[in-house]
Amino acid sequence: MSGIYVHVPFCKSKCTYCDFASYPREIGKAELYFACLYKEIKARAESLKDYVFDTVYFGGGTPSFIDEKYIVGALRQIKNCYTLSKNAEITIEINPGTLSPEKVNAYKKAGFNRFSIGLQSADDAMLRKLNRIHTKDDFLYATQLLKGENFSVDVMIGLENQTQKDVKETIDLAVLAGASHVSAYALKAEEGTPMFGKYLNGDLPSEDETAELYDFAKAYLEEKGFLRYEVSNFAKVGYESKHNLNYWNRGEYIGFGVSASSFIKERRFTNTEKIDEYTACILRGKVAEIFSEDIVGDEREFEYIMLNLRKDEGFFFKDFENRFNCSFTEKYADRIKMVKKYIDIDDQKIAIKPEYIYVQNTIIIYFMD
Amino acid sequence: MAVKVKENLRNFCIVAHIDHGKSTLADRIMEFTGQVAERDMEDQLLDSMDLERERGITIKLTPVRMAYTAKDGKEYIFNLIDTPGHVDFTYEVSRSLAACEGAILIVDATQGIEAQTLANCYLALDNDLEIVPVINKIDLASARPDETAKEIEDVIGLDGSDAPRVSAKNGINIDQVLEKIVELVPPPKGDDDAPLKALIFDSYYDNFKGVICFVRIMDGTISAGTKIKTFMGEKQFDVTEVGTFNPGLLPKKSLSAGEVGYVAASIKSIEDIAVGDTITTSINPALEPLPGYKKVQPVVFSGIYPLDGSKFNDLKEALLKLKLNDASLTFEPDNSAALGFGFRCGFLGLLHMEIIQERIEREFDIDIITTTPSVSYHVYKTDGEMLVVDNPSRFPDVSYIDYAEEPVITANIFTPPDYVGAIMELCQEKRGTFTDMTYLDANRVRLNYTLPLNEIIFDFFDGLKSRTRGYASFDYELAGYEKSSLVKLDMLLNGEICDALSLIVHKDKAYPRGRALAERLKDVIPRQLFEIPIQAAVGGKVIARETVKAMRKDVLAKCYGGDITRKRKLLEKQKEGKKKMRQLGSVEVPSEAFMSILKIDSDNK
Repeated sequence: MSGIYVHVPFCKSKCTYCDFASYPREIGKAELYFACLYKEIKARAESLKDYVFDTVYFGGGTPSFIDEKYIVGALRQIKNCYTLSKNAEITIEINPGTLSPEKVNAYKKAGFNRFSIGLQSADDAMLRKLNRIHTKDDFLYATQLLKGENFSVDVMIGLENQTQKDVKETIDLAVLAGASHVSAYALKAEEGTPMFGKYLNGDLPSEDETAELYDFAKAYLEEKGFLRYEVSNFAKVGYESKHNLNYWNRGEYIGFGVSASSFIKERRFTNTEKIDEYTACILRGKVAEIFSEDIVGDEREFEYIMLNLRKDEGFFFKDFENRFNCSFTEKYADRIKMVKKYIDIDDQKIAIKPEYIYVQNTIIIYFMD
Repeated sequence: MAVKVKENLRNFCIVAHIDHGKSTLADRIMEFTGQVAERDMEDQLLDSMDLERERGITIKLTPVRMAYTAKDGKEYIFNLIDTPGHVDFTYEVSRSLAACEGAILIVDATQGIEAQTLANCYLALDNDLEIVPVINKIDLASARPDETAKEIEDVIGLDGSDAPRVSAKNGINIDQVLEKIVELVPPPKGDDDAPLKALIFDSYYDNFKGVICFVRIMDGTISAGTKIKTFMGEKQFDVTEVGTFNPGLLPKKSLSAGEVGYVAASIKSIEDIAVGDTITTSINPALEPLPGYKKVQPVVFSGIYPLDGSKFNDLKEALLKLKLNDASLTFEPDNSAALGFGFRCGFLGLLHMEIIQERIEREFDIDIITTTPSVSYHVYKTDGEMLVVDNPSRFPDVSYIDYAEEPVITANIFTPPDYVGAIMELCQEKRGTFTDMTYLDANRVRLNYTLPLNEIIFDFFDGLKSRTRGYASFDYELAGYEKSSLVKLDMLLNGEICDALSLIVHKDKAYPRGRALAERLKDVIPRQLFEIPIQAAVGGKVIARETVKAMRKDVLAKCYGGDITRKRKLLEKQKEGKKKMRQLGSVEVPSEAFMSILKIDSDNK
């Protein structure tokens, strides 16, 4: 498996928790940006000509905010330059306040077959506080337009003054609208965001309260037929996000656009976050990488363990052996012993016990040396 | 052979209460004699360790030799030995005193005589040193030199009227101090031709030259090539280099009677040389050693363990090296159920303990865990045997104890009268017994108390300073043992006794200490994957309990656009934090937990 990621760094306005590369005031640079993006997509094609990509993901920012011609153009460029598998999963992130029938038609026609909708909350007051540009009604309208399509809904956990009732109503809204997949992300107040001030002021729920809400969300989603397959991701059977699973499986992916990360041939690299720097590099025919690291030796194994244990199903020893030419259970016997209380293990695979998935960092670091 | 007076030599030290300006005056004297060009001066030259400069205290003695042309037209050689001021280092002061004929006694004109002024002054008088009083800080608006001079007369019994009034900071009247040194400090006497007697008053290990011994030659002469031995050691050495202090090492052809300098003799094993010993020649040796130094007794004991158990030998090497120039440090191997192999170390006091701890971590780069400090108790068992217990884990079961004794001290506390009430309250809390109170003048009172040492080692000094806004000063002397009701307080983590956290306390203090310690541990032990009960127990009976709740969430919700590196870096950081923890049974405990008890009383105020 391998994937393609495209970053769209534009949005109407910045949400209070957002620390992604997203610039509401830079929309004037969209034309130049996409020209460069197409160039970058093409520039990498030769070196990746042997790859067959199974997923494409347009994230942001708000990809659905900008004129659909750019999106359609970018996907066309990808299809021109790369080999996609027959049933490739092609996803675009949608803000419910930005959709129109024309946009939906254009996306579908271009080949998008999965939509990830940022709902976050079903409570309009809460949405306003987050500086989201949409309302609950916008969401209903958007999902109406996407009726019959495969879509996922993002839900936030740990918002200011959030109660179980809020979480339940948000999940109900998503489920009733026809979602096949729900991502339930715990809010993390990042330094430099307005949300961080709230965090410092103690306005946000404590870690325990957030964990409490999360436990509730997990139970409620399972009740509704959405099974957790990764820390924050829940899906009806067969609707797991292939693109995200590729990350957790330590699959390869190429990222285009500002701040996009890639992992190709045991090298991880990331583009600059700055639009101007990005366009300047690309126009000069250079790569826009600001970070690059070859993953060597046991680091590869650690990454594999760290990523795969995010999944409820963990990983199979056979897969580990195929990749690294050594036996996981032999090489890590002493570590396994140390964490045995927290894992499910049999002769084929290992996984973190469901009740410890949310505290897995503490478990995973036993496998780091 | 004849004893000669070395007319042009003056060996002296400086004693004072902490902060009265010892190091600054030393700097000025060096500057004035041209030993160090003004522009090259780094403040407080003698405090050569980083730690000393950071803390503004002198721990190690570093002598310096200077030439001074006095007003009588003659040139004199001064050997100045700076001394530490903190009460923990009384022993170090006594070592340097034995190498001198005189002592400058600095008194701060704004503070007057303080507890350590007195203690150090008496120490100097005990060593038959000539005292040169100096009144410092006359540049400050609050200086009251006349009263200070009178105080010197009234309290110490020295003539203060003639004392130089100086500002070491601004370099005022430093020449008067130098003239007084020439006038008052007696020149040393000794016989250059007599068998060699050199007093080792300090030493340190140099990677190239081996052990460098700081010596005062009492009789005889020493030079490169001399075959030497010590009275306590058995080995012989060939002297490779002798010299004086510049304040760096300055090689010289020889050192003779009365001089202060250093001796290097390729002494490779740091156990071969004992500070306080006397060096003599192998051929025609002196018959008797010089009167030895006062044998130093450690007062505070604690366990030091490497955080990483495999560093045991590194820790041993570090302690051996530290002991070389810190004779007061004692240590022996110890074994804790919770912490594995380490050392039980004896220190002069809490500051000394902290300094050793910091030096191990900084100079030797070994992460260590230090257990709660203890004093040395006498436990009389029912079968009549007496045990000396300085390690709580060796405290016998109550049923075997007839009675126990704890060390006590007599404390001299100097304070303005306003704070007498606060001090009495503090001493009361610390189980003190009032013995005396004297009004020195309208503004100063001296209080005398007898206090249990184990109350002093925790936070008495901080408490005294905070309750008197820093005005009170304090000095103490050990005063033997007294009968006391002592119990062993155990701490249990997740149901298991953690021997490294146990302590011996007075029966009446067990409950508050136990409760405070449990609360403190609850704060410092991070949440883990399971709930951790913390219990304090005396004789198997739980007297306090706290709980560290299980961790609920530690995972990053999202991998940002496949930014795996960021996630890995985060985990690496977490792993680093984990390395600073010690696994006790099933519980991970940060190293600072072992020192928690020290913080308790000050927090609860």
